[in-house]
Amino acid sequence: MKYLNEYRDPVLARRLIEQIRREATRPWVLMEVCGGQTHTIVRQGLDALLEGAVEMVHGPGCPVCVTPLEQIDRALALAARPDVVFTSFGDMLRVPGSECDLHQIRARGGNVRIVYSPLDAVELARRTPDRHVVFFAVGFETTAPANAMAVWRARELGLDNFSVLVSHVTVPPAMTAILESSDNRVQGFLAAGHVCTVMGWTEYEPIAARYRVPIVVTGFEPLDLLEGMLLAVRQLEQGRHEVENQYVRSVRRDGNQPAQELISQVFELVDRSWRGIGAIPRSGLGLREEFARYDAERRFALDGIRTVEPAECRAGDVLRGVLKPMDCPAFGRLCTPEHPLGAPMVSSEGACAAYYNYGRFRASLPV
Amino acid sequence: MCLGIPGKIVERHDDRGLPMGVVDFGGVRRDVCLAYVADEVQVGDYAIVHVGFAISKVDEEEARRTYQALREMSRLDELDWMKDVADRAEAT
Amino acid sequence: MSTDTLAAGGLTCPAPATDVDRIQLGHGSGGKMSAALLRDRFLPHLGNPTLAQLGDAAVLAVGGASLALSTDTFVVHPLEFPGGNIGDLAVNGTLNDLAMMGARPQALSAGFVLEEGLPFDVLDRVVRAMGRAARTAGVIVATGDTKVVERGKADGLYVNTSGIGLVSAEFRPAPDQARPGDVVLVSGPLGRHGIAVLAARGGIDFEVDLESDSAYLGPLVERLREALGPDVHTLRDPTRGGLASTLNEIAAASDVGIALREGTIPIPEAVAGACEMLGFDPLYVANEGVLAAFVPAARAGDALAALRSHPLGQHAAVIGRVVADHRGMVVLETGIGGTRIVDLLPGDQLPRIC
Repeated sequence: MKYLNEYRDPVLARRLIEQIRREATRPWVLMEVCGGQTHTIVRQGLDALLEGAVEMVHGPGCPVCVTPLEQIDRALALAARPDVVFTSFGDMLRVPGSECDLHQIRARGGNVRIVYSPLDAVELARRTPDRHVVFFAVGFETTAPANAMAVWRARELGLDNFSVLVSHVTVPPAMTAILESSDNRVQGFLAAGHVCTVMGWTEYEPIAARYRVPIVVTGFEPLDLLEGMLLAVRQLEQGRHEVENQYVRSVRRDGNQPAQELISQVFELVDRSWRGIGAIPRSGLGLREEFARYDAERRFALDGIRTVEPAECRAGDVLRGVLKPMDCPAFGRLCTPEHPLGAPMVSSEGACAAYYNYGRFRASLPV
Repeated sequence: MCLGIPGKIVERHDDRGLPMGVVDFGGVRRDVCLAYVADEVQVGDYAIVHVGFAISKVDEEEARRTYQALREMSRLDELDWMKDVADRAEAT
Repeated sequence: MSTDTLAAGGLTCPAPATDVDRIQLGHGSGGKMSAALLRDRFLPHLGNPTLAQLGDAAVLAVGGASLALSTDTFVVHPLEFPGGNIGDLAVNGTLNDLAMMGARPQALSAGFVLEEGLPFDVLDRVVRAMGRAARTAGVIVATGDTKVVERGKADGLYVNTSGIGLVSAEFRPAPDQARPGDVVLVSGPLGRHGIAVLAARGGIDFEVDLESDSAYLGPLVERLREALGPDVHTLRDPTRGGLASTLNEIAAASDVGIALREGTIPIPEAVAGACEMLGFDPLYVANEGVLAAFVPAARAGDALAALRSHPLGQHAAVIGRVVADHRGMVVLETGIGGTRIVDLLPGDQLPRIC
């Protein structure tokens, strides 16, 4: 596939790995925020191949993993209603709530459907006027334009049987929260290439300046990630702390203006709770008042939801990058993809699942 | 958040005022909303697609330049892995 | 699964939500949930040494002969898809299960559950396809049964086929016969059936120039048998759950490790494109006309030649080897030089956004 396979070239990848090893005079700690990047790193074993030169710490880049438990419970409550067709991206289906997950709701008779695009949910609502379609609008800024368009479109089409359950989060506040925490070890960031495709990178310039960390906007294929790491290492070696763009084929400094415009027309910044991390002010998106009838939380009375969230959870430490999944006592024993204790083990690109599915017994593998 | 892949725009049409297109991903075709790149792209261009929406036009010039730069970094001698592949290919 | 909290060090995690007291879709995907279902809910009541082998077919000694017996139920939706229909799968699928155990299929039974309202012309196309597939394989449908259920059940049509075949002592490939030093071959490109059916299903709505690869693999098995005889250690057709699931089952049954080489595994571009779009791994996508074979490394050339001598095997390739390390596990060596585990999935692959 064009513009994809070229960035998987194994010969060039090995060259980049050697180059990183040559230029790093000491081990640097970098964080990638995006789950898709975590996926590639662990799937290709890049972290193992760079041991000693770069330590990759996996950030909270999985919107599925950071969706608060209350929101999952709200989703389950909606999905269990006989008058609702609950639609969602596939990622959410196995995330455990306080009592069960969407798969089990479906097994018990709930109408739960996977959609590939939010517009498919709108189309479903248009075609079935006697059912109310709720769409679980989860994601970072990358998905916000799509979710915004779904709401916009529903209004344009005059639909009354469509609403969204919103759980949108934004990256820069999370990055700041990580940099502010006392046990932060991260020295440089790989910013998420598709988030920045939408938003551009101007929001990261003040972060790089204030905390003196290099931030490299990076793509998702092995060559992208390795080049991003190389650029970050170079900055660290040279004492620079700038925002740089590796993913030039998709990202421009100002991002996608039409997308940003529609996002700001449909959504507004709100405070959001990140599962395992806690509340981060102005780190989420919520529907504006004029779109209230498309907000599932306001359309449906969702009382009586008892969320059982324990006082302490290691998932948070994993999401902030201070605990490696395999160092969690539950990893691989009580907590596995079949019976996950937390979201990072469920989502296909949560750090715990990535480690479990790709690198569980790394120590015993011939290398 | 992340799963955005490049595809080639092979058709454009309008769905009740919404700019749409058909995008080809290595032989797989799907309807994609082009609202966010409508003024930039034409049939034959590549776009990054996430959940059925084009979020950017692939800058083919930049893509070519990046790839060239990466290639220039590498030398032409054979790596162990490549030699291994050659040996195996011979054996079969 | 009960809720467990870790008392040590005051460690707790969000309450797990896996009180599974009923069947979920994931139980049918051929992954870990399916394996657990068999182990926990079926074997305890039905268990016997033959069943416990969990091969594609059971080999029974009947009056001096060795018979292979296999059964499979087909519930695919939609009933018709590019490259065939449920009828093709029903015949080829069961015949392939017999062939993978080294059996020469003799006869099939076919049991139908028909939904009230199923159009006759759909039924005709399905049954015609079954007849055609059976004749191609030189096998008769010797007996059958039909039931009708009310509208809303049976998704149009469900069909079960069972088959018997003759097994000889000299050719007994089995899932527990793979040995360190063997190589792993596949007879053709992967993922065509799963993606073709997904596209036809319409839920995700995409178009692709792919057809199901449904085919009777008996002729390929015959060529391997002629060329290698008992050196064919293991044969398996990777259907639901894909190649990854099949190889995991073999690694567990034979108590060996399997190491695959990325870049050698044949995957058509359209399958790769669809998988990229959906976030799928082609190794877990279903096939209906491909077999995996385990033979000693020294016979790899002969095995490849045998497979490639038949149209169904023209794209056959060596994709990995059997090792004595990481027993029970399948690993993939990436082009870059890294390795990763290719594990059984808990349930189905789901399209993802991340």
